[in-house]
Amino acid sequence: MIQIEASPEEIYDIELEHSLLEANAKIANANRAQLDQHNTTAIDFMGAIGSGKTTLITRLVEKLKDRMGVAVFNGDATTSTDGDPIAAMGVPIVQIATINGCHLDANVVSKACGKIDLSKVRLIFIENIGNLICPAEFPLGSKARVVVVSVTEGPYMVRKHPHMFLGAQLVVINKIELAEIMDVSVQGLIDDVHKLKPDLQVIPTSCKTGAGLDDVAAAILAV
Amino acid sequence: MHELSIASSLVESVLEFASQPPPKKVLKVLLQIGEFTCVEPEQLQFCYTAVIKETLIEGSTLEIERVSAEVACRHCGYAGPPKYWEDALSAAPVATLQCPTCGKATESTRGHDCTIRTIRYVES
Repeated sequence: MIQIEASPEEIYDIELEHSLLEANAKIANANRAQLDQHNTTAIDFMGAIGSGKTTLITRLVEKLKDRMGVAVFNGDATTSTDGDPIAAMGVPIVQIATINGCHLDANVVSKACGKIDLSKVRLIFIENIGNLICPAEFPLGSKARVVVVSVTEGPYMVRKHPHMFLGAQLVVINKIELAEIMDVSVQGLIDDVHKLKPDLQVIPTSCKTGAGLDDVAAAILAV
Repeated sequence: MHELSIASSLVESVLEFASQPPPKKVLKVLLQIGEFTCVEPEQLQFCYTAVIKETLIEGSTLEIERVSAEVACRHCGYAGPPKYWEDALSAAPVATLQCPTCGKATESTRGHDCTIRTIRYVES
């Protein structure tokens, strides 16, 4: 390595105030403005691989598709398997393959918005990549961010991933029908969420029995 | 591994500055990372070194400074450092949005950004 020998008077410091997260945030704001213009609400679902994001979105689409125009943006690193049951219901779906990228960003969501007729869609479900860390830094332009955790991930998911919850507007605790078998306390998870953010709404659900799904649909429509 | 996207965007900004006349050699970049972000300094350092290889700023160093979090409570008027969750099992106490005085929800007022503060360089 070549070392530069500079006397102190030749060294310059330029002061900047340049945010590295701002570029994405700006596009996210533009997405939001575009969606607002069409009276369309986007909801972003984040959660670990296997937390049940896809099944939850599929159940919500089933509930709401006859009441309003819905669409799904499905982020997946490589495959389109998650989107197939939704496409079978005749709901517009945009597959966003991040090719091993660990999160969606506002730019890909902007492109996805261009693929559907926003004037016919009131509600967009955005399924983020299965990851509880990276998506937190990248707002997409959604009106609410939902974190999905399931009891099968164990009792410490909330405290292990605080950043994800600090930026969320709704938390879904999924697979509650397995709580007893897993020996995980749903109330313990709810208490952890409220230690991080006392006013954050938490809804326990089971996509198997249907418990809590009407409450999630109502919470989404109320944002 | 979002540190790679952040490092790429950091290097892009520094290269844009470095490539403008007069010719210069970048020595050090000072970056501030907020406590409410989940950007991992060590991983970012690693990515920075990898991304600057064979660029105009190869050989420059990255200095990372943590910016502590601050919150404001609209219920009781508190403003200042957040309440920390001490026994969350994590390596360091976790900054929360619970008000340290009244226990209700606060809003973060500082510590959620990742900002280039200074670029140190010599004209070459």
